[in-house]
Amino acid sequence: MTPDIGLFSLLLAFFFALIQGVAPSLSPRAVVGQFFCLSLSMFCLIICFLTNDVTVVYVQEHSHALLPFIYRIGAAWGGHEGSLLLWCLILSGWTLLFRMVGKRHLTDSFFTKVLMILGWISAGFILFLLATSNPFARFFPTELITGDDLTPLLQDPGLLFHPPMLYFGYVGFAVGFSFAIAALLEKKCDATWIHAIKPWIILPWALLGCGIVIGSWWAYRELGWGGWWAWDPVENASLLPWLTATALIHCLILAEKRDAFKGWILFLPILTFTLSLLGTFLVRSGVLVSVHTFANDPKRGIYLLIYLSVIISGAFTLYAARIKYFYQAPFFQFMSRETSLLLNSIILLTAVATILIGTLYPILLDALHLGNISVGEPYFNLVFIPIMLPWLFLMGLAPYLHWKKTTTSYLFKKMVSPIFLSLTLAWIIPTLSGCHFHPLAYTGIALSFWVIIATLRYAKKITLTLPRYSMIIAHIGIAIMVLGITITKSYSEEKQVRIILHDTVDLAGYQFTLNQLQNVAGDNYHSIEATFLIREPNQTVFVLSAEQRVFVSHEQTMSKPGVAYNVWRDLYVALGAPLSDNAWSVRLYYKPAVRWIWFGGGLALIGGLLSLLSFSRKRSGA
Amino acid sequence: MSIRAFLYSLPLIISMAIFILLWRGLNLHPNEIASPLINQPAPFFQLPDLYRRKEIVNNRNLLGHVSLLNVWSTACSACMEEHDFLLMLSKQQSIVFIGLDYKDDTHAAKLFLKEHGNPYQNIAVDESGQTAINWGVYGTPETFIVDKRGFIRYKQIGAITPEIWEKTLKPIVQVLADEKI
Repeated sequence: MTPDIGLFSLLLAFFFALIQGVAPSLSPRAVVGQFFCLSLSMFCLIICFLTNDVTVVYVQEHSHALLPFIYRIGAAWGGHEGSLLLWCLILSGWTLLFRMVGKRHLTDSFFTKVLMILGWISAGFILFLLATSNPFARFFPTELITGDDLTPLLQDPGLLFHPPMLYFGYVGFAVGFSFAIAALLEKKCDATWIHAIKPWIILPWALLGCGIVIGSWWAYRELGWGGWWAWDPVENASLLPWLTATALIHCLILAEKRDAFKGWILFLPILTFTLSLLGTFLVRSGVLVSVHTFANDPKRGIYLLIYLSVIISGAFTLYAARIKYFYQAPFFQFMSRETSLLLNSIILLTAVATILIGTLYPILLDALHLGNISVGEPYFNLVFIPIMLPWLFLMGLAPYLHWKKTTTSYLFKKMVSPIFLSLTLAWIIPTLSGCHFHPLAYTGIALSFWVIIATLRYAKKITLTLPRYSMIIAHIGIAIMVLGITITKSYSEEKQVRIILHDTVDLAGYQFTLNQLQNVAGDNYHSIEATFLIREPNQTVFVLSAEQRVFVSHEQTMSKPGVAYNVWRDLYVALGAPLSDNAWSVRLYYKPAVRWIWFGGGLALIGGLLSLLSFSRKRSGA
Repeated sequence: MSIRAFLYSLPLIISMAIFILLWRGLNLHPNEIASPLINQPAPFFQLPDLYRRKEIVNNRNLLGHVSLLNVWSTACSACMEEHDFLLMLSKQQSIVFIGLDYKDDTHAAKLFLKEHGNPYQNIAVDESGQTAINWGVYGTPETFIVDKRGFIRYKQIGAITPEIWEKTLKPIVQVLADEKI
């Protein structure tokens, strides 16, 4: 019964979406109806999981009688069908939010247009769900079955937050996209528009960033290879819209102050949502090999591709046809804040282009019959790092630039001491802490210090308003993140060893002793837990355990690494294969400053959210 | 068409190009990552033998018979899983297994083989991983089928299961075994 209600309300949601798309007068009410139906549908799916209703194919494929309660909820979006339903639900949630708080100063016709565009996007996705990926499809087994279980890798609290957070971000850009399309249709993009679109870019930007950070942290603690970013195609796909949204947020500041660059601020929301959709396509079509891809079915890929090309080519055609109505000649000199914000967009778009090329290159070669390759970390590091170095320099410099025009001598006077200070500190601090010199590490550390020092000096000089606070926090967050990346990349140490009980191994001044091996039973797995005693260079001793889990339903083994952390470093132990009774192959990692990456990322997002606060305050005051 | 108009239609042009590319991509099968080395002579390699460090394993060990060059390491759990099956195969069939012990602790490797049995005729020790790079190895385990003349004819990515063996690898090996040099 429950699955039937779920399917029926999904059908109803489709009709509500259609009404929202075609009938301007009914649009606002259809939004509510659609949201209600999709929530009910999702609720039904979760109930199916909680009751372990194996007659539903999707549940049978992704659940198991022994699966812990909390992961059953997560399992509802652990596969293709359920996660797509979540996608639709979140889209309708954003639409509802926009309907409730977005009206304010917007004209009726503009407001309705945005709702209608969102209705069409939603209708297409619900149709996709119904036509190719029905989560409520039934199958009545003739014998007792227990379910295939959720992939062990997904059985982690990360599953509960990482996908929904990412989707909140991805899908949220649909509102900004609709704003741009509606503006192109109305041939009007004024200060009200710029002011109104801002929160609909900043909020998804922060949520997407949060999703990326959570994902990176999840991969680090779960996958057992000690890494936090692998340039996997799907990771790239999530980074791309985040980068373009970052560019857009800065362009909006520019457009707000100077009433120019309409070409950019109408282009970037479309591009951002395009890249979100591209990410969705890459994960679900199986054109690329990635840890994130779902089991695939060619029909899905074709439907999605047709649908995406309709939305996106439609949007860009409209853009090409209408953009001439928005053209204004900007007036500013080279040494100005305008240039720096524009350069920011250009650098970020260059980064986006290189990542996109690297991600799609394997398909291109394959399509041209030039063989099969995979583009890996070396390419991305090689192209991405040089692009980001001038970006960091600009980040420290930009606040000092004035609107329209800045004299070189003024700039020089302001810049000399921060540059000198950061160059010196970047040399002194690593040397004092006993690290060897490394040119790339030095560059990274110096640039991070430069951003931090220049930003703090700037903060001292000006009266602090909320938007300025948010800029300062966000920029310092990024600098801390870069610092973390640089230090981890340059000064990590790792070792793979064979270790027997009571053996001791040295790594980076730490002594790891395998102290104990014991069997542990979990809900749906049994595992061997290895306990290590770790002696720090200052002779303190503490305990760290790592596990090797074997999942009952799959007979699949998974290494659950043990991580001990403090502000300065992580120690990371992952069990490999058992060699003989008490000997194990073990990988040990010493990773300095790795946590700064997530801390800095988090700080940047807090900065973004803070600016949102200033926005809502200003609005209520107005 | 003015330059400006061209610039503003660039996003459309680029996105259409990407869609065409993705359309082609849908009809391809990235999971079957073929190696550009297929039907090419096996890349030159010369490595010490795991057990007899003074002896070397090189391309000559691949000549005159169909060989399966299996890239493995004790650090890889999938390798451990396929190990028993490889052992069974090596006993039943007249195939030569050559092991490429990839970036491994040789002591651990020996211990492991002592305990679980050794399917390999020779095991080359690739401590630096350079040979694996030359062979275009993505990760362990991978298995190359090399014909009697020392040409790579097929590459299997991931563990060999009885199913994969019966469906894919065995037919290839049988055809190659009947080839005249």
